[in-house]
Amino acid sequence: MSYEELDHTADIRLKVRSPSPDSLFAETALAMMKIVYGESRFGEVERTIELEAGNTENLLLDFLSEVLFLSEVEYLVFSSAIVNISGNSLRALLTGEPFDPERHRGGTEIKGISYSGFSIVKEDEGYVLDILFDV
Amino acid sequence: MLERVTRLGEFEWEVPTGTVPGMRVPGRFFLSDSLYKSLESGAVQQLANVATLPGIIRYSMGMPDIHWGYGFPIGGVAAFECDTGVISPGGVGFDINCGVRLLSTPLTIDDLGHRRELIETLYQAVPTGVGAKGPVRLSLGDLEDMMVQGAAWPVRQGYGLPEDLDHCEEQGCMAQALSQAVSAKAKQRGMPQSGTLGAGNHFLEIQVVKELYDPGAAKAFGIHPGQICVMIHCGSRGLGHQTCTDHLKVLEGATKRYNIVLPDRQLACAPLSSPEGTAYFGAMAASANYAWANRQMIMHTTRTVFEKMYGIEYESMHLVYDVAHNVAKMEEHSHEGKRIAVCVHRKGATRAFGPGSPDLPSGYAKTGQPVIIPGSMGASSYLLRGTTIAMERTFGSTCHGAGRILSRSAAKKTINGAKIKNSLSKEGIIVRAPNDAAIAEEAPGAYKPSAEVVRIVDALGISNLVARLEPLGVIKG
Repeated sequence: MSYEELDHTADIRLKVRSPSPDSLFAETALAMMKIVYGESRFGEVERTIELEAGNTENLLLDFLSEVLFLSEVEYLVFSSAIVNISGNSLRALLTGEPFDPERHRGGTEIKGISYSGFSIVKEDEGYVLDILFDV
Repeated sequence: MLERVTRLGEFEWEVPTGTVPGMRVPGRFFLSDSLYKSLESGAVQQLANVATLPGIIRYSMGMPDIHWGYGFPIGGVAAFECDTGVISPGGVGFDINCGVRLLSTPLTIDDLGHRRELIETLYQAVPTGVGAKGPVRLSLGDLEDMMVQGAAWPVRQGYGLPEDLDHCEEQGCMAQALSQAVSAKAKQRGMPQSGTLGAGNHFLEIQVVKELYDPGAAKAFGIHPGQICVMIHCGSRGLGHQTCTDHLKVLEGATKRYNIVLPDRQLACAPLSSPEGTAYFGAMAASANYAWANRQMIMHTTRTVFEKMYGIEYESMHLVYDVAHNVAKMEEHSHEGKRIAVCVHRKGATRAFGPGSPDLPSGYAKTGQPVIIPGSMGASSYLLRGTTIAMERTFGSTCHGAGRILSRSAAKKTINGAKIKNSLSKEGIIVRAPNDAAIAEEAPGAYKPSAEVVRIVDALGISNLVARLEPLGVIKG
């Protein structure tokens, strides 16, 4: 996983680098899981997300919000994500394990994904995302 | 960005129009010399960005706990004329009606035996942290009622006293709530979480009243030296978070439709009178009501624990007051010699209505409303009162807390949570949290000194000091 935490006084700001939009989306979702739950193990529970949005940026914002929603209401911690983007639509297969208070309380709650400072830029080696989570 | 700032007085600074293109009014913020040193350029940029929003009047303001957030800076206050202005979730935040309440008890420090057992019992009784479920799973009907009735809903169910409601801002209920503007997803998140504290900087703290600055006001608030109090800080949980997420998306579309040009996407907004603006306001009010009910449920649990452990009457524990610090409200304020209706956004700022203001219970009509300023973990918290000066200068607003100076990542790198826990324990402060990293992130060194922040608001007169409270024990999410 290739991401670094950038400085921000109140919240968590990440820079994520990945060769393709598909892997960028998957890596960001897993980074988010790590922030909320700390370390997790591979699991057997699968969930699928299908979405459409007007552009790649909004597709990622909607996808991450959906991952947070599913994880919270179904008490699931995802440790793997396979994302396929085609045009402005997305299909993702998430795999994980049920929330275990003994092992998954090492992180902090993400309240939302901010639009402030949000950008996806294509560079020579791939895609670079700047993103801010309200915690 | 900082080079554009000019100083106007000992505690007052201006960000002139033109600092970012399209500013309609200047920015104003309140800081001392020492706190100015920790001001980030990003916070000034955000203060200037807010000044570009349609219908803003007077200034885009920053209280002394101003720091870099998203959308509005934290500590940001802005008022918008009702007929020309906008409403923005960027001025409220994801945690709608995150707020604080202070509960007084008849106990004094000498009565408070078994302190470690008390903290452990509270930690077991009040669900905290990630993945916590509330003590009562609400039905959809209960949740709808809670979103409409606010703190009155749990009181009607037996989780409180009718007198509690008088001691909440807005009596713990915004009448403009539209539960139909809250999505099914938000409701799904809200149903299991009522009565949970959450994570991050949310806490429940046992405190002792250490010093009085205004004995007359303290008497009116029912506070005396040596008294044990409980401070509860939390918000609208997943229901509020989802409401912000949902409406931010709708309002971004509306921003384009109403030809509003923004310097930051998070400031997505719509005219107050538009269908999109009305829907967000109604959903935000419903989420705010959920937050008041949530703090009411947690206070009920706290009273029950004290009742059992110390043999005191449930009714002998009084709610001093409950304040919101992430909310937008319709209020009337004086502007250019006239009384006008405005929508005041307070993002990490507290209402500080002065003596004689509307919405104050009769017991507080002469003092002004209680203003509750939590310190960081291990630091002093303060009780203040609202003032006439706040009504004149800051749309009846003041600071909400200490304000961070160190990022969470920097805090985790430089501060050892276990060591902090031990050193606080040596000072007689017991900390109970799900993990040590949570302690490091919220350690006292990560925040501005709360004493300095309240010194500034007191000197400016936008709220006046009443009492100082010191922590004895805290549970954190």
